[in-house]
Amino acid sequence: MKKLINDPFDFVEEMLEGFCAAHDDLIKRVGRRAIARIDAPIPGKVGVVVGGGSGHLPLYTAYVGKGGADAAPAGNIFASPPAKPILEATRAANGGAGVVYFYGNYAGDVLNFDRAAAMAEAEGIRVATVLGTDDVASAPPSEAHNRRGIAGAFLVVKVIGAKAETMADFDAVVATARKANANTRTMGVALTACTVPANGKPTFTIADDEMEVGLGVHGEPGVRRTKVVPVDTIVDELVETILGDLDYTGSDVAVLVNGLGATPYEELYVIYRRVKQILDARRITIRRKYVGEYATSLEMAGASVSLMRLDAELHDLLAMPIHTPMIRQF
Amino acid sequence: MKNIDGNTVSAVLSNVANAIEANKDYLCTLDSEVGDGDHGVSMTIGMRTARRALATLENPSPEIAFRTVAEAFADEVGAASGALYEGAFAAAARAVAGKATLNTTADWAAIYEAIAREMQAIGKAELNDKTLLDAWLPAAQALRTAADEGAPLDEGLRRATAAAWAGVENTRHLIPKRGRASRLGERARGYQDAGATSAWLIIKTIEQSLAPAAE
Repeated sequence: MKKLINDPFDFVEEMLEGFCAAHDDLIKRVGRRAIARIDAPIPGKVGVVVGGGSGHLPLYTAYVGKGGADAAPAGNIFASPPAKPILEATRAANGGAGVVYFYGNYAGDVLNFDRAAAMAEAEGIRVATVLGTDDVASAPPSEAHNRRGIAGAFLVVKVIGAKAETMADFDAVVATARKANANTRTMGVALTACTVPANGKPTFTIADDEMEVGLGVHGEPGVRRTKVVPVDTIVDELVETILGDLDYTGSDVAVLVNGLGATPYEELYVIYRRVKQILDARRITIRRKYVGEYATSLEMAGASVSLMRLDAELHDLLAMPIHTPMIRQF
Repeated sequence: MKNIDGNTVSAVLSNVANAIEANKDYLCTLDSEVGDGDHGVSMTIGMRTARRALATLENPSPEIAFRTVAEAFADEVGAASGALYEGAFAAAARAVAGKATLNTTADWAAIYEAIAREMQAIGKAELNDKTLLDAWLPAAQALRTAADEGAPLDEGLRRATAAAWAGVENTRHLIPKRGRASRLGERARGYQDAGATSAWLIIKTIEQSLAPAAE
């Protein structure tokens, strides 16, 4: 393992200390493992709490800010936060209009967020949960609700944050959050594994000439391992799988081409080029586009493609401004 | 058999923490076959914190010793294992509330049953779902049977360890129903479950720490 770290067991603590200090104009610490936007809680606004394991920046702590989430707990690397920091984030986000949780569908996250939700409800804070389930490779369409959440979370959080920013009421924010997730699909490919510092060894082994299609963002095995092929062939498979999973015919879409941490932006633009070719040929109109690192897996090499099918509301919410430590849109 | 007071329980739990930490890489390797490879890390973070907190206790009751471990998991771990072990050790603490010593087979049967029951309630898993319950449930059952038969504590704990290990071995034949590995279906068959393995390590270390030979 070769990393710029001190004691691996201090890694998350030291990362958060630096993250909060670097962005103290935008966010504040509201617990040992929880942060909130600097002006939270905002009276009368529905609070948005997102979160999960660390190791995925900008997801989730750097989604916190104006136009994004109100607060986020941060877990250990790739591990759900405990209920306590989730509760701290919930209190910090609560402006009296209820709090919406959005996080990826993983067993640990569901356990801990559900416990925190029960504690928050006991304190009189209304909580609703929407699970991120965008990874088409993680379960067949018949079990879409069991899918795990990956990079499409960015698009969904962008929508939820914007909706809450309009001072929409609790039920409206929850409904829009569900709609955003239901219209989002992602599929990715990994070229290399990554190493959790406290583990010290890569999460999986993969040959120099191989790739894992449909990977999990924590190094969970994907659907298939195969020789690396030209990127257009890879993108064709990712996008065709997504298009086969949800009817995008004649739709407007948002596209997210996401790097996993060690893939150059240059390669991401090559991928975006191919995505555009495919969608143009299908007469699917790209209305919003994001190319860059929005949800990483430490130093994993690879990328994912997300498509969100847009209606007027989703489009307009994506177009609204956002200003967080790592994401800025005017 | 020694007198098992709160100090002994605290020492046993410290041994458990050391055993988990010593097996961190083994547990991570098992988890990386079908999961994300961090089970050993999560358990080590919790147990390390627990060991430090236990060391600061002065003549704790058995309840306080168990509660200290629960609080370490509550504060530091997260993940499914963190929520499950926080709940499990808190349940163990409740099961021994008011007791100064835990000298009987029935005392420990009550503890293991409380742990298994709480984990089942929190994780909503069943036997053969390829989770840590595949070690905890048979261990609790074996210890209860031993208590009902009037078996001495060391024998009961030995039977619990054996039952837990049989459960761990059985996980190789199972398809996971919970956790990240569950999405792999058949691809996960053949691999030993990391959560069941760490459960067995805990159960085995408790047995060895309380064995007459360890006095």
